[in-house]
Amino acid sequence: MTIKERGMDGAKPSEETPAVAWLIGVLAWAVPGAGHLWQGRWGRALLLGGAVWVMFIAGILLGGHLFSPGGQEEGTNALLRLPPMVANLGSGILYLYCWATETGFAEGAEQAARATFEYGNTFLLVAGLLNYLAMLDAFDIAAGRKS
Amino acid sequence: MTHFLVMISFAALVAVVFGIVGRDSGRERGLYGLKIFAEFVGIGLALAWLLYFLPR
Repeated sequence: MTIKERGMDGAKPSEETPAVAWLIGVLAWAVPGAGHLWQGRWGRALLLGGAVWVMFIAGILLGGHLFSPGGQEEGTNALLRLPPMVANLGSGILYLYCWATETGFAEGAEQAARATFEYGNTFLLVAGLLNYLAMLDAFDIAAGRKS
Repeated sequence: MTHFLVMISFAALVAVVFGIVGRDSGRERGLYGLKIFAEFVGIGLALAWLLYFLPR
């Protein structure tokens, strides 16, 4: 067995990831908490999924702003919208629902003037990022890399 | 007070996720979550006081 086959540290190559793990990963992204729920991890589903749901809803109620590719910026300035959009997109169906109902995407000065606007932004961004972590956790459990 | 409550809520929610994802056993998770929570709140308060003394 060559070093390439064994990996740089000489360890044996890991087993192939089961297809269901990928499915669970997608499910965990789409519906926060569902990836763990599918695997019967009720406690984790409640805590991880609950944290993401609460954080996202709190972000909306605080007047936070969700980012989408289209906006008022043009040219390279529009690229600055991508990182926060990727973070927002981590919330899965919550983001898609808001996008479909045009909730939280308003870009008026009135909304930005709210005292809790930046808090809301932060809550919405972090909700998506936390769901990415939860998604990876669900994937690792399904792949047998984590107990 | 509202700002403080929002900060506490944020720290608690993030600490829950970090605690579960970051450690393996139940006790370690709890301690790690508490540590994350304390760090968020402690650093947040420290920065708030620091900014309080800066002129506007």
